[in-house]
Amino acid sequence: MNRESLLIATLVELADNLVDDYDVIDVLTVLTHRCVDAVDVDAAGVMLASPTGELQFVASSSESMTILELFQIQTNEGPCVDCFHDGLAITNHALSESDGRWPLFTPRALALGFRAVHSLPMRLRGRTIGALNLFRTHQGTLSEDDVIVAQGLADVATIAILQHRSTLDASALNFQLNNALNSRVIIEQAKGMICQSTSCDMDEAFNRLRAHARNHNEGLTTLATRVVATSIAPNDLDLWVMTIPE
Amino acid sequence: MNVHRLLDIYAIMERLERESAEGFALCAVAAEFTALDGAGIALMSESDALTSLCTSNFAAGALMDLELTLGEGPMVDASRGDAFEDTDLRETTSSEWTVYRSEAVALGARAIFAYPVRLGAIRFGALSLFRTRPGPLNAQQSSDAYLMASVIGRAILAEQAEGSLVGLAGELNGESMLEFWVHQAAGMLAVQGSMSVKDALVFLRAHAIGVGSQLSVLADRVVTGATRFDSTTREWIDETAVGHYKR
Repeated sequence: MNRESLLIATLVELADNLVDDYDVIDVLTVLTHRCVDAVDVDAAGVMLASPTGELQFVASSSESMTILELFQIQTNEGPCVDCFHDGLAITNHALSESDGRWPLFTPRALALGFRAVHSLPMRLRGRTIGALNLFRTHQGTLSEDDVIVAQGLADVATIAILQHRSTLDASALNFQLNNALNSRVIIEQAKGMICQSTSCDMDEAFNRLRAHARNHNEGLTTLATRVVATSIAPNDLDLWVMTIPE
Repeated sequence: MNVHRLLDIYAIMERLERESAEGFALCAVAAEFTALDGAGIALMSESDALTSLCTSNFAAGALMDLELTLGEGPMVDASRGDAFEDTDLRETTSSEWTVYRSEAVALGARAIFAYPVRLGAIRFGALSLFRTRPGPLNAQQSSDAYLMASVIGRAILAEQAEGSLVGLAGELNGESMLEFWVHQAAGMLAVQGSMSVKDALVFLRAHAIGVGSQLSVLADRVVTGATRFDSTTREWIDETAVGHYKR
């Protein structure tokens, strides 16, 4: 697919997801995967501001522990923190050993093979609520078009977090932000249980959760809550998605 | 940026701890921090029953009793679900809790703001704040209320793990609970020890204190298999001296 078709397909897919009772983590996960497809990057993640003002990751194109750690470091420092505080995009930041800007983040990102990083603010009416983080394994710059597409996807992510709230006052926004952040914690608790019960690793645990949620048309967070409440046994979760995505 | 607001909470805790021989109540911290007319905190038991942990003044106490007696209201709903804000109890069009609303107004409340105290799927209870005049919270108060609820969650966890709130501010200041592997570790430990995720998190935190480790460091060891809990002997086992990863 060329980029135009890919973008149209992505927007249709997201619009299709943003109906009634969608699961915000599921939609954001889809969005990070589409970022990787539609923008010239190798990994993508969404980070949101927690009540303490620190960033917490909520969705990623990869659930591998090493990638998640790269987001975790950015609770304290990194491109997302700077982007979030300044409300300004960071694009085409080449990572190098001699780069002293993020002393914890940069060596870890380099060790994972990443060479460039980008971070786009998620903004709503003057308030920055988080950042979309993009990683690239090769040097070179994102084109102007890439940046426009990425910022567009960051804006869609912001809309997804708001869910169906018509009024956008501070308390409605705090409500949605906190629910999204808490959903991610529920998913991590469930992943731990699945991992221990079925002897799989954490990204497999997430994939099973997501596959089962998709197959049974259940929200990811609802399903994860049922796992934690032991109303469904980890071993009973589907291993893969039964239906072929359109 | 709310990090300075978090430090404000710790400063209130430390001041109240110095001022009173009996220690401080979390609801007093909540009422002062959010600058509202009163606060109450309810705890949820394993069987989902609510009990009062504390209330900041007489009216807050009466509102708490009212809600626990009726078994309905914003705090009851928040403890089981999501945050709930009723900005004018007298003018509301909702048909829910009509008895609660009229009684709450009689007790002097005009606006009620209730927040779940939770960590993922773990439900500790709820924070209820009230004001004697109607109207929404401003942006700062709204952020503050969510921040306060998250601090209360961590405080209740600490209290359940250690049985005391002494020196809480200093302790909370060093840990964030934002590390995702802490929640993964609680899930793993729940399966290892055949317990609820809530008990597992309390247990994990208690063990971290017992061995003089940071919660995030112990959680890392659990996630990487360096430390596990043996359900037969009910003992912690260190498989390796050093964790697989150093964080």
